[in-house]
Amino acid sequence: MLRKTLLVFVLGVLMTPVLFAQVYLTRNGTIRFFSEASLENIEATNRQVSSALNIENGEFVFRLPMRSFAFEKALMQEHFNDNFVESHKYPNASFEGEIHGFREADLLSGEEVEVMVEGELTIKDVTKGITERGTLRMEDGDILGSAVFVIKPEEYNIRIPTRYVRNIASEIEVFVDVRLSDKL
Amino acid sequence: MKTWKIVLLTVVALGIIAALLVYFLVYNKPHPDYATMDPDMELPAEQLYRDFVNDEQRAHERYNGKVLQVQGQLAEVEQVDDMVILSFVFEEGMFGGEGVRCTMLESYKEEALSLAAGTHVTVKGFCTGFTGSDVILEHSSIP
Repeated sequence: MLRKTLLVFVLGVLMTPVLFAQVYLTRNGTIRFFSEASLENIEATNRQVSSALNIENGEFVFRLPMRSFAFEKALMQEHFNDNFVESHKYPNASFEGEIHGFREADLLSGEEVEVMVEGELTIKDVTKGITERGTLRMEDGDILGSAVFVIKPEEYNIRIPTRYVRNIASEIEVFVDVRLSDKL
Repeated sequence: MKTWKIVLLTVVALGIIAALLVYFLVYNKPHPDYATMDPDMELPAEQLYRDFVNDEQRAHERYNGKVLQVQGQLAEVEQVDDMVILSFVFEEGMFGGEGVRCTMLESYKEEALSLAAGTHVTVKGFCTGFTGSDVILEHSSIP
């Protein structure tokens, strides 16, 4: 599974028949999630997101180590890794898909472009199709990409024990922010 | 004071103390102090990278979630927003130089920024995994 994901991640970009300069990359994208529940709000941020966007055909991928999510509370971080996402068994999450609704010329104008992000999100051992809105904007030669996904933990085989149902929301907002560059 | 009152007050006091202990020592326990922790393993940075490239699953089982102390020739000192990253590079790939990337703790940023590429350095950090191109060490320090 891990090998397959890695292979798809690398080959999906490398085998694309376009010039290398048309692929924009980052190793330090940010994914943040926010859970709002009756007892508490939980937020965590991951700044080790590797991502690539082919601006000719819109192919977009990202991959992140789950254990890089940083929480305010150490106990929450432990529960997240050990009990919920089982980082020891499923160390990465990934997305492979496309961004629709933009042209390179639109980006070069510097204006923010609204786009649709469509593809497959893999968390733990579950891969599900998602379609969400996002934005792209060019700044100083880099592409700034943002998107918000809403995911349900239960759909990704993340089981929340009954005693935590008032601590963790049934729907979690996931914010993706990347600054992609053609020169790393 | 009557005996039952003393017993009641004692029980209430013990209950409050227990609740405070749970709150501060469990619910609000601090994050590990990675800079002072003994490493679980010491190894060359290149071996760490090669182990992930050759057998990612096995490398995760061995290194992910562990404090590792790695040695090697520093390839790059990078600043990304407020992060300072020391890189050991062993291959050229899609992302440029690929290898081991160590995100430094706040208190070690200045020292990390003063290091020159080519220097032989030892870095200790918490291994969070492999991005497909790089092994990630976070909360890193220079022992």
